[in-house]
Amino acid sequence: MKNSLKTAMIAAGLAASALAAPVAQAADVCSVWLVENSRFMGVPFGAFMPDRAFVPGSTNKSNNINTVDLPVNVGVIKCGNELMLYDAGWNQTDYHKATGTDHWSPLSKQIAQLGFDAKDVKKIIVGHGHWDHAGSLDEFPNAVLYIQKEELRGIEWALNYPHPRISAVNDSPGGCARTPACGYPSKTMDSIYGKVLKGKAVIVDGEAEVIPGVKIHPAFRAHTAGSQLLEVPTAIGKLVFGSDAYSSWEGIRDWNIANPQQTDTVQQFLAYEQCYKITGGYQNCVCAHEPLSYTDGYPLTKNSWVGMNGGRLAEVTLAPGEKSRKK
Amino acid sequence: MHTEVSGSQRTARVAAIKGFGVGALVVGLIALMAVAAIRETAKPKPQAAANPEATRSERPAVTAEEETYARALWTIHAQVKQDAVKMTFAGLAYKMGDIKKEAVRQRVAPLSPMFDSAAAALSKLKPPPSMSGLHAEYLQAIRLYHDASVIMVKIAEDDRDTHLVEAQVMSEKASGLTLKVGETLWPGEFKPN
Repeated sequence: MKNSLKTAMIAAGLAASALAAPVAQAADVCSVWLVENSRFMGVPFGAFMPDRAFVPGSTNKSNNINTVDLPVNVGVIKCGNELMLYDAGWNQTDYHKATGTDHWSPLSKQIAQLGFDAKDVKKIIVGHGHWDHAGSLDEFPNAVLYIQKEELRGIEWALNYPHPRISAVNDSPGGCARTPACGYPSKTMDSIYGKVLKGKAVIVDGEAEVIPGVKIHPAFRAHTAGSQLLEVPTAIGKLVFGSDAYSSWEGIRDWNIANPQQTDTVQQFLAYEQCYKITGGYQNCVCAHEPLSYTDGYPLTKNSWVGMNGGRLAEVTLAPGEKSRKK
Repeated sequence: MHTEVSGSQRTARVAAIKGFGVGALVVGLIALMAVAAIRETAKPKPQAAANPEATRSERPAVTAEEETYARALWTIHAQVKQDAVKMTFAGLAYKMGDIKKEAVRQRVAPLSPMFDSAAAALSKLKPPPSMSGLHAEYLQAIRLYHDASVIMVKIAEDDRDTHLVEAQVMSEKASGLTLKVGETLWPGEFKPN
């Protein structure tokens, strides 16, 4: 009698939790917005895209732009009632302003401009773990983080490498650029670790389906060791978010590499190809730092407006029945 | 009904029509310019704030004494950052099931004396008065890291994740402090990635 009561209670508990648990919804098509978390101002074009390096006096349009402003784009994706982010921007504080940036606002406030509450964000898929892509995790307490095991493994490998030039988190003051552990300040790593400790992280190993139709594709070494893409079905076809596996839309269009940090350029090209294959071209590839973002020059993002502190937003596509959130 | 019009009247009427036409053209041009001006100001352009000098506040030049201090601290900072991330990764590896609790102890225990050494090295530096506040904060950060490492190894004794949680909170606070110092002494320490 005691045992059957216990069984019944467990069964009732399971039934109750099944009812309470959020059901992963099939994503027929999703709505997508893009939020400019901040802008890195006056970056030498050649530092971002070597093939676009400035040549004084050049009339070649590939080489006549000195500096560019790079947005930090975050994808806001709504599939049914499931709200998720692709990348998480970064967190400017009184102690970390990242010299040379502008237009920053807290990501939670930026998505509030779209009418979304940070508490309702259920999933954050980071393209990689760099500070400017995984830096606002703490603002989304209910969100489950998706990050590749290979990303974490790559950082750890670098940290334990015997040669100090390889293992350095930074290679010189003000010079964090190419070392394999560069771009991962302890603050960002602690945020990721905090999600893991709270049981709010999925450590992905290769391909994964976040909800039916929304798929993670590994793009290892396309920017960092464990970079990952996100395929999202929409009314305008499939979109594939690339984070920095393809930082630049002009880059993916023209097959120029971009943002070569810990990048294997062949793998970056394979990430480009992956987007071409999934979407049927380059138009629906969503890039993290494209300077033409929020203009007609990057058509996917042209339906844009200016929000708080000058940061821009774009309504990329709406699912049937989804209301416009453009202000 | 037909109305006779004299030559002078006709000339005056033609002049009036011409005047009206020119006026309409001017008004049209003004309206066009106004629309263009509104469009230009309303539509964001990627290069709208392209002048970085205009958006950055000037930083005062550091003194020789400050520069000497910053250089000396960099050596300590480089090691502290690396050890801090190593500590985090020990916890991550454990939570991912890659290592056992004993391995956490083996990885983290050697970091405690490293943080001790860093604190000792930092204490030997003499910060210029302008940087004494930063100096104290950096020392606080190293001590937090040290204490976090001591707490973290307790996981090997009793399997309780609460040690990891407590250590992570301290570590994240310390990381904020080191970022603050870095922002002041080495602006742009972490470049756009």
